[in-house]
Amino acid sequence: MTRADIVVVILAVALLPFLYITYWGSSQQGNELRVMVNGKETMVLSLHENKHITVPGPLGASVIDIHDGKARFVSSPCRGKQCVHTGWLGQGGEFAACLPNRVSIAVIAQEQRYDSIVF
Amino acid sequence: MTFPHKKSHGFTLALILLLTACSTQQAQLHQQQFLLFGTLVDISIWGTDKQQAQQAIAQISTDLENMHNEWHAWHDSPLTRLNKMLASGQSATVPPSMVPLVQKSMALSDASDGLFNPAMGKLVKLWGFQQDDLPESTPPDDAEINATTALQPKMQNLTLTHNQLQSHNTNVQLDFGAIAKGYAVDLAIDKLRALGIHNAIVNAGGNLRVIGKHGDRPWRIGIRHPRAPGILASIEAHDDESILTSGDYERFFEYKGKRYHHILDPRTGYPANGFTSVTVIYHDAATADAASTALFVAGPQRWREIAKKMGIQYIMIMDDKGQVTMTPAMAERIHFESNPTPHMTISTLP
Repeated sequence: MTRADIVVVILAVALLPFLYITYWGSSQQGNELRVMVNGKETMVLSLHENKHITVPGPLGASVIDIHDGKARFVSSPCRGKQCVHTGWLGQGGEFAACLPNRVSIAVIAQEQRYDSIVF
Repeated sequence: MTFPHKKSHGFTLALILLLTACSTQQAQLHQQQFLLFGTLVDISIWGTDKQQAQQAIAQISTDLENMHNEWHAWHDSPLTRLNKMLASGQSATVPPSMVPLVQKSMALSDASDGLFNPAMGKLVKLWGFQQDDLPESTPPDDAEINATTALQPKMQNLTLTHNQLQSHNTNVQLDFGAIAKGYAVDLAIDKLRALGIHNAIVNAGGNLRVIGKHGDRPWRIGIRHPRAPGILASIEAHDDESILTSGDYERFFEYKGKRYHHILDPRTGYPANGFTSVTVIYHDAATADAASTALFVAGPQRWREIAKKMGIQYIMIMDDKGQVTMTPAMAERIHFESNPTPHMTISTLP
């Protein structure tokens, strides 16, 4: 092995943590939020850009907040507010739904911590 | 990027292959969520090609839609028409898809000592839980609740001969809310197998059954915390197992600071007291669905006895003080994810 080889190997090994964090991140922490209306995907948003979005459903507007890698329903025009009570979602596989307004959100991660959730 | 020496290409290649291997693993998972059966349905299929997985998911979604329409307790449906016949005292013809559901419900109601009671549709309606959104936040009058409970509709009031159903109590109104999703999940899993799929999860509104594995590891199931955002615990599911929770947080309204939830006690006519959630693991989802409801209704005094009668070994209960009780079999399987871990007691069945 030449000196140049050694330099390349050291550089490559030193680069690994950077590559891992950049491309894989904390693999079970969510990267994106899938928003669905009536069971159809309407948008996929980054969880790393703080945003306040309004999603129209058959009853009216559901408001969703994205903040620091997490998302939640802030309000929805249903009576039960079960979607709002679900609170913040951040890990791959977590989801919340406003069934009366047919709006649901799900966190997407590189690898999901949970394959499915019982609630 | 240029490399000073040819050999270094080998390292880069190895790195790329390693990363590609990870993404190939991910590509074998086909997951789809949709709103069906009045709830969120989540299907995961592992290790089949995309086209086969998509066809299977489309087939299951059609099946679930049909079941939902046939067994709906308040929209115009074969079930509501059957209920009208029962109320008039006439013998009714049960649609073919509903016969096994009625039979299973009768057997499970019997095994649960009537605590799982799909005959009390009138009471469910009185409380306002037979509607798509939640009821306005006022409970019904005590007198009305008592009068409806005193009618004592039971599955034992029914006689099923082939597909003919006769009720000996005209107050029986069938509502399969505490079993239909579990039973639908069982049928969906049967269909997946018939389509040649052997690694999958079907989750209808938190009622789930798994078959096979996620590649070389078991499927990992999270259990939502009944009182806090996030996950309380996780379980690695074995092949062909169902995991279900009945909780007071699924459908409820609040009135003067008190929570009124949808799991009604057929003995009192009021929402069952004592527990916030009951999670069970069992082979089939229909039994697990009915059992989680029956154990919730049974409460702190009777859950062990009912579990024994229904043959349920794996049980985790969170009570209204946030304390967890588990059977020894469940304690071996469960992994707590919440911080702090709740206070926990192991309780042996009789």
